[in-house]
Amino acid sequence: MDAQVIPASLYDCPVVESRPVGIYRLVSFRAREIAALARPGQFLMVRTSGQSLDPLLPRPLGVHDIDADLVKVLIETVGRGTAWLSGVRVGDRLSVLGPLGNGFDLAGDGPALVVGGGIGAAPLAFLARALRERDRELRCLLGFRTRGQAVAAELFGGHDTEIFTEDGSMGRQGLVSEPIPECLDSMSGATIFACGPDPMLAAVTRTARDCGVPAQVSMAAHMACGVGACQGCVIDTVDGFRRVCSEGPVFDSNAIKW
Amino acid sequence: MSVSLETRLGPLQLRHPVINASGTFDVLEADKVLEADLFTDFPFAAYVPKTVTLQPRTGNRPHRLYETAAGLLNSIGLANKGIENFIADDLPRLARLPVPVIASVAGEKTEDYGRCCGLLEERGEVAAIELNVSCPNVELEGRALGCDPDRTRRATSLAREATSKFLIVKLTPNVTDIAGLALAAADGGADCVSLINTVHGMALDPWTLKPVLGHTTGGLSGPAVKPVALRAVYLVSRALDLPVIGMGGATTAQDVLEFLAAGASAVAIGTANFRDPLLASRLAGELADLMELRGLGSMDELVGIA
Repeated sequence: MDAQVIPASLYDCPVVESRPVGIYRLVSFRAREIAALARPGQFLMVRTSGQSLDPLLPRPLGVHDIDADLVKVLIETVGRGTAWLSGVRVGDRLSVLGPLGNGFDLAGDGPALVVGGGIGAAPLAFLARALRERDRELRCLLGFRTRGQAVAAELFGGHDTEIFTEDGSMGRQGLVSEPIPECLDSMSGATIFACGPDPMLAAVTRTARDCGVPAQVSMAAHMACGVGACQGCVIDTVDGFRRVCSEGPVFDSNAIKW
Repeated sequence: MSVSLETRLGPLQLRHPVINASGTFDVLEADKVLEADLFTDFPFAAYVPKTVTLQPRTGNRPHRLYETAAGLLNSIGLANKGIENFIADDLPRLARLPVPVIASVAGEKTEDYGRCCGLLEERGEVAAIELNVSCPNVELEGRALGCDPDRTRRATSLAREATSKFLIVKLTPNVTDIAGLALAAADGGADCVSLINTVHGMALDPWTLKPVLGHTTGGLSGPAVKPVALRAVYLVSRALDLPVIGMGGATTAQDVLEFLAAGASAVAIGTANFRDPLLASRLAGELADLMELRGLGSMDELVGIA
């Protein structure tokens, strides 16, 4: 994916919504410029406003969706930073650097198979809406461990979304990567767009290669600067180390060394 | 009263005392991504690019970063395009900056310090050179050169022979006697010392209980190390007649004020850039306010008063 140059800035943003969605937290904040510029697959570096030193660094969060001048993120608490961000309430302010990263490549008009795993589904909501607006044929497969996460699928909307849970507590039981070949049978010339845990993305990559279908995967990494300066967020690819923040987060699935 | 922030670092005239720490701010990358016109409104008084080595280096395996309490562990591993590519690709663009450029070089062998300085000697874009003898994330001849006074002196003197530019030696805190290392650098012909580089550290994943960093150990930076840095600046500035550039956890104008009072002639901001890429723009103004509150009109009235 070519890195697209869209100016990013640091914004101080008021939180206008904060509510639980299953085990996740949906937070909406007003950020007019980011809402106007962000493209599906881009991310933000977010921290709570102010001088607190703990947690020290902003956290990378995918843009879950945009609504007018509001930017929405979905947060899973996995550590100190996300615990803090999950605790923000209406009236709090966030320090947000963005929009960052290359985003998904939406060129073409072929069908799209969108595959999400866990919190990886969050940025795919923005992607799905953009694909629908472009009249692209669309199917979304969202996989979660259990119902507590799977309820987040309600944020997707559309009749083109199927839910999978590993324990069968919601939707179909199984892994989200399993039905991919069957879906592709009826989607000629499709592209896969995927975001989720590395094992899921590796499985999607293998399946895409076996079915002869291109796939774009959105990767994650620990980050510090978010703008390509510190070399901290690299992943191993066939072309050597590549920075997830500025040369990604979206990569051709065949480029990744799993 | 009006406060003057003008700072002298040898032949370098800086409009204020705040520069960036090498490796934490890349103006060429940041300018591609950020809306701000960094070449016009450059926030620092001098620019220190990422350390370069004679040959390109791919750097360490992921993970390279891990946040700690009020700190950051990094193990980047001196990933860089190599000095020849830096000279060909980056220097012509850095020439547009409105501030002096301080190149940073490291050697995989002691001789490399002299060779790198030799390659930069004729480059007018480079106002000064900082020798990184102290990165803890790379095995240089088996052990960080900057932990050994004799090898520090030797690397510095090889650099000194190769360049007439203002020569800064960046010291590691991972030693018993940092003032001794500073004196060795001075003996070798350094014009200035900068300190501190990162502090040795590591982290275990809370669930797997295995080291998080790909390189197992890394270097700690950020507010957590400020007391370590402040002590080092205080002791070294008293042991040496040379100017000192202080760094290590400075996040606010108050921190900058304290490093200057401790004996630093200039202060570098590193990890704090990751919280706000344009922080330094504000710091200079806030520093002037803090000085005015204390009746301090210039750097001469502040540096070393602790």
